[in-house]
Amino acid sequence: MSSFGYLIKEGFKNLVHNRLMTLASIGVLISCLVLTGSAVMLTVNVSNIVDSVGDTNVTKVFLDDSYTKLEAVYKGKELSQVANVSQVEFIDKDEAIQAYRDQLGDEVFANMSGDDNPLPYAYSVKMDDLSKYDDTVARIKEVDGVASVSSHREVAEKLTNLSSFITTMSLWIILALAIISLFIISNTIRMTMFSHRFEISIMKSVGATNAFVRVPFIIEGVVIGLISAIIAIILLFVLSDAVINSVQKILDFKYTRFTEVMWPIIGSFVAAGVLVGSLGSMVSIRRFLTHEGNEILGW
Amino acid sequence: MIKFNNVSKVYDSNGVHALDNVSLNIEKGEFVFIVGSSGAGKSTFLKLIMREEMPSSGSIVINDMHLEKLPRRKVPYLRRTMGIVFQDFRLISKMTVYENVAFAMRCVGKRNDSIKKRVPYILELVGLADKANDHPSELSGGEQQRVSLARALVNNPALIIADEPTGNIDPEMSYEIIELLSEINKRGTTVLVVTHEHELVKSFGKRVITIDDGRVVSDTDDDRFVAI
Repeated sequence: MSSFGYLIKEGFKNLVHNRLMTLASIGVLISCLVLTGSAVMLTVNVSNIVDSVGDTNVTKVFLDDSYTKLEAVYKGKELSQVANVSQVEFIDKDEAIQAYRDQLGDEVFANMSGDDNPLPYAYSVKMDDLSKYDDTVARIKEVDGVASVSSHREVAEKLTNLSSFITTMSLWIILALAIISLFIISNTIRMTMFSHRFEISIMKSVGATNAFVRVPFIIEGVVIGLISAIIAIILLFVLSDAVINSVQKILDFKYTRFTEVMWPIIGSFVAAGVLVGSLGSMVSIRRFLTHEGNEILGW
Repeated sequence: MIKFNNVSKVYDSNGVHALDNVSLNIEKGEFVFIVGSSGAGKSTFLKLIMREEMPSSGSIVINDMHLEKLPRRKVPYLRRTMGIVFQDFRLISKMTVYENVAFAMRCVGKRNDSIKKRVPYILELVGLADKANDHPSELSGGEQQRVSLARALVNNPALIIADEPTGNIDPEMSYEIIELLSEINKRGTTVLVVTHEHELVKSFGKRVITIDDGRVVSDTDDDRFVAI
């Protein structure tokens, strides 16, 4: 269309003219998108944590603190004889503390080597049949010298439950926000149309097609969508990095940075922004286009 | 050009019979006054021509288009064959004279270079070349009406419809506007002027169609009102 440049300019003029409502629309749409993105990042990373917390089939058995290395190694045989235990692996407490030092830095663990090592000797135990898990753990605890049994399985289960709960919750919140942003955008554009009703009535009287009348308002909606998508992507990038870094300090896990999953998210954000923007404007335009002449002006 | 065949219009909302079995024929190149007091059915007549309303019965043909068969999406193309001059000018106040006229060309998708050529020419024609950069508020009523006329003319329509073009301007200016319309008519454009000013109509000696109470009560070729 030869006058497309003109129509685009009109669309941008509308945005500036209506800046308060434009900002409101952009704000709501951004929160909607950031929330969606956060939910995605959370889901991805929780499953990462679950994975890195380990093979869910590994259970750690901690021995009594007073055990010497020799006594501890000797316990291995007893543990492997417990029914349903398929494999036991000794964990040297000196190696364990060294692993922590390597991961988290020397300062914290500086005074914890040798006799000052707070860690007990331990075993990692694998089982044949996980359905007998609780039963087997109970029997391991009966073994003399076993102080405690910790299972990553429980942690993993809790994390998985948490992540699916968060996913469900965020789905509902996102749905609600999407409806709200659609509503706000369509209202923003309805206001623009109302303030332009005089021009619209002239446009129709000189023979502008409905498509022509519509274009600046759809552009307004699409631009609102695009701006929101861009800001949301930037926010998400900064936010997810900050969150991952601070969680890293507490819990070491193999994380997924925003940049790794960025492209599908950016793609769907832009698509969602454009879709919500244009849908919102379509809704509000209909009323004006089915009216004629003075009806548009309300005379 | 304009053909009404037994056209009646009853408004659904209030049951008013605005037009009652009107038949008339306006040929290409004619200059016609439509007169009648307010509420006689003049504005309904115009709305039917512009297809802002549909007739309750009868058929209307405008520029070879059968309006009762014209699909909604084709309506803009009907309107491009006509230029409309409003009583209240309907100029966009934040635009200059030039932009107001150019707006009508933009609306039908004309290119910038043809706008740049055509608008000054039309402004010259209505005698407003020196006011191109003024805003409507800086102009007199007569000048504003000439801008409105320029806008109606700019897309080169076959038909000009002027709805009470002299309603909001001084009597001497009114005469000028009708003169201008008459000038445009001489170049081949069909002109339809709706008015209630009988005196003004008489002085021009054109075809006059009188509408009263929704019916055509007279249709004459000169200033004598003959009942039919």
